[in-house]
Amino acid sequence: MTLVRVLFYFLSFIAIVSALYAASSKNLVRSIFVFFVTLFALAGLYVLALADFVAVTQIVIYVGGILVLILFAFMLSGKETLNVIKQQNSRIISLKTLPAILLAALFFIVLLNVVLKADADNLPWIRESISLKNEITPNAIMIDNIGVNLMTRYLLPFEAISILLLMALVGAAHLSRKEGKA
Amino acid sequence: MNFYFTYFIVAIGLFSFSAFFALFGVYAERKISAFIQDRLGPTETGKFGSLQTLADILKMIQKELIIPAAADKWLFMLAPAVIFIAVYMGFAALPWAPGLIPSKINLGIYYVFAIISIETLGILMAGWGSNNKYSLLGAMRSAAQIISYEIPAGFAIIAVVMIAQTLNLQEVAIQQGILSAEKIKFAGFWDVTSIGGLFSWNIFRAPHLIIAFVIYFIASLAESNRAPFDIPEAESELVAGFHTEFTGIRFALVFLAEYSMMFLVSMIGVILFLGAWNTPLPNIGPVHLATWTTGMAWGILWVTLKTLALVGVQMWIRWTLPRFRVDQLMNLCWKVLTPLAFACMLISGVWRLWLM
Repeated sequence: MTLVRVLFYFLSFIAIVSALYAASSKNLVRSIFVFFVTLFALAGLYVLALADFVAVTQIVIYVGGILVLILFAFMLSGKETLNVIKQQNSRIISLKTLPAILLAALFFIVLLNVVLKADADNLPWIRESISLKNEITPNAIMIDNIGVNLMTRYLLPFEAISILLLMALVGAAHLSRKEGKA
Repeated sequence: MNFYFTYFIVAIGLFSFSAFFALFGVYAERKISAFIQDRLGPTETGKFGSLQTLADILKMIQKELIIPAAADKWLFMLAPAVIFIAVYMGFAALPWAPGLIPSKINLGIYYVFAIISIETLGILMAGWGSNNKYSLLGAMRSAAQIISYEIPAGFAIIAVVMIAQTLNLQEVAIQQGILSAEKIKFAGFWDVTSIGGLFSWNIFRAPHLIIAFVIYFIASLAESNRAPFDIPEAESELVAGFHTEFTGIRFALVFLAEYSMMFLVSMIGVILFLGAWNTPLPNIGPVHLATWTTGMAWGILWVTLKTLALVGVQMWIRWTLPRFRVDQLMNLCWKVLTPLAFACMLISGVWRLWLM
């Protein structure tokens, strides 16, 4: 086994175990901190897939932004509110959770099916790229590529997202505005 | 296998450097504060009190590690480690001299920026884990402050990156001296490629970067929770903020993280704006001062001197200015620094297109 493969299994193991803990833990704040471990392991997997820009962006946005905001919401809500969740019924299989389990199991089957049928080593477009030397090497500088593609091929989705974010900003400003004395 | 061995040596070297710097930094801080307040500072332990911080750390190592009964044990124990490791990992991508950089990644500055933001999570962890009102309030203030100030800092950094056209810190460093492969113009009109020195630093290559540097410096003070932005640990209101409950070596780790953070943000500032490891001395006619003072050892010397100077300014500011109120802090960030940083970014774009 090469080092890369060892790292892949190690990181995947951490990601899966921490994700399971985050989903099953009754202590919500702790499960958020464990989710941070999941995201970090995922970032490591992105680096192994030579997508280092995606990995760093994942850390900036999810760890530095979204996780901290979620934690903020928790800290403003106080411990008593969180304790209610701890006292809930802890049986895994019950009538309430049946739809969720069904949905999760079905989705798992679909995913498994995709993985087994895809045969990722022999996809035609991957083989074609390898034969044309159109592949990414570990030392390649990806930022230029990403920048050029964002401004040419993916310009419309890029602009659409920026308008969406602008709308969210305007909405947030409107919600937090002081009401005038009408 | 030798290959991996070097990695370990580099990692241990950086760790011992940051530990040594924290010892020296605390001593310097106490002496500088004493000078500013017209006192003597530590004088008893060793000559001029120079062994004071060593004695302090020895005391801290011996102290009992107390975990409050109501604390979330795991979060409480892990928090100082997370805070320190986040800062420590940032050192991996910073260049020290021509050809001397622990990890030559082409995402350099972006990686450092991402890794630093994990510190917030560690602080929130400490605040929540302590299960103490003061700690929680301190942690929330700290998180709010760091998230807000990341925005002007980020845009000031983008202003430099637009001029440099790369995220690799080693390349940013090379561009600011006589080793540069491309043409450098002082303030956009005077070709100083072979003169080097002070004139080819980023803040003089494009003068609007002086404003960007000031914005970055103010934001970096806030990100390392230093006065005048130290409301997370405001002694008069919050006892000691998020690290109220920590004792012994855990408290030492939080302190180590703070001083490493000071060095880290100053070093990023030096690399991006103040010429990194390049010499401040220019080539004047036949006197090739810049050529003589460029090299491995000189590089380490210059980058350390410049960074220590910035750290000194940080300490000077801490002991001169009073603490901001929360609303003043947010006003400064969102109404002054952020628009200015946006303006710098715009000017950078125009500058790059028309003057370089």
